[in-house]
Amino acid sequence: MSPERFRTVVSTVLIVGVSISAALIAAGFAAALAVGWQGSLAGSVAGSAPPAHVAATTDFSNLAGRLAALQPLALAQLGLLTLLATPVARVAASVIGFASERDRLYTAITAAVLAILLGSIFLLR
Amino acid sequence: MTPQADLGIFAICVVAGLIGALAGVGGGILVIPALTIGFGVDIHLAVGASIVSVIATSSGAASAYVRDRMTNMRIGMFLELATTTGAVCGALLAAVVAPAFLYLLLGVVLLGSAGMQVSRLGEETPPTDQPSALAIRLRLTDSYPDRKLGREVPYSARRIPLGFVLMWVAGVVSGLLGIGSGVLKVLAMDGAMRLPMKVGSATSNFMIGVTAAASAGIYLARGDVDPLIAGPVALGVLAGAVLGARLIQHISNRSVRLVFLPVLVVVGLETMARGLGFGI
Repeated sequence: MSPERFRTVVSTVLIVGVSISAALIAAGFAAALAVGWQGSLAGSVAGSAPPAHVAATTDFSNLAGRLAALQPLALAQLGLLTLLATPVARVAASVIGFASERDRLYTAITAAVLAILLGSIFLLR
Repeated sequence: MTPQADLGIFAICVVAGLIGALAGVGGGILVIPALTIGFGVDIHLAVGASIVSVIATSSGAASAYVRDRMTNMRIGMFLELATTTGAVCGALLAAVVAPAFLYLLLGVVLLGSAGMQVSRLGEETPPTDQPSALAIRLRLTDSYPDRKLGREVPYSARRIPLGFVLMWVAGVVSGLLGIGSGVLKVLAMDGAMRLPMKVGSATSNFMIGVTAAASAGIYLARGDVDPLIAGPVALGVLAGAVLGARLIQHISNRSVRLVFLPVLVVVGLETMARGLGFGI
């Protein structure tokens, strides 16, 4: 991988990450204007069961279930999670980039950073 | 939050993202007081939103800075080794160290550095010396295209061990206090390593997202990230940061320092105030 291409890859990872995140957050807010934060874009047919899980806005659990119900809140939350994951994806892409440049020193440095990063995300609570 | 309040938060965050992208810092110093004082947001939710704003500034600006060769990715990754280990040490130390004294100490260091920044206000690019043996071995020499000067500006990292240690300290401080990591990074790359301001700012921007992501899990688990507040913050800061990364192409290194200096003074004063027991 040429340095040029390496930069393009890292830059693209960042652009894709922030674009998806911004689109999801904006979609969440637009949808909330229509059906409210805890509503559902899937619509509530008369007689159908209410959404099983009504979340507090800061509660990120059961995100998949609430996404399936097309809740605006879940869309915005997924957007924020995407944003928070973008730097991690960027470091991971850099490990691959340095490795393909056969730069052993920087592959090792970047892999160490990735390990510390993942460790602190999942272990420091 | 009413739609009007959301629009207000969005507008302020555009400015925060713009300044953050230019100065190489996260928008926290602007975002937190704006949310707590301006919109009556709970301090915990404001801090959670500020972590989001740091990552948004970083990723939004870095996407352009990396492509435009403003960011030095090797310097960034090398120093991230210092900041991430520092941040873990800081988080572990947080239980045993009195923060008041640390705030005070950090405030003194930041305001002292502001004096050094004033003495460099007239400098456009740092003097270029022969790269050191260590800089060559670590491949920490490069150049960046300066559209304002209309030429390629070569640079090499100097005093690398000092820069590495300062970055570790920056990591410890951000792990302990949760603030000041951006300004300390810029100070270390400008003051110790003598990189051009634009390269220091862009590389700091590149790095702060990783430092913030390391602690994002804690804030999420605590319930400090509220999409109703962090959502407009993220959108505003992203827009501002993308704008800032374009703007930097058209201004001089001197102007970048002129944006950074007041940010440094404000963070220094805010930190001192916290150390003395009053503050936000």
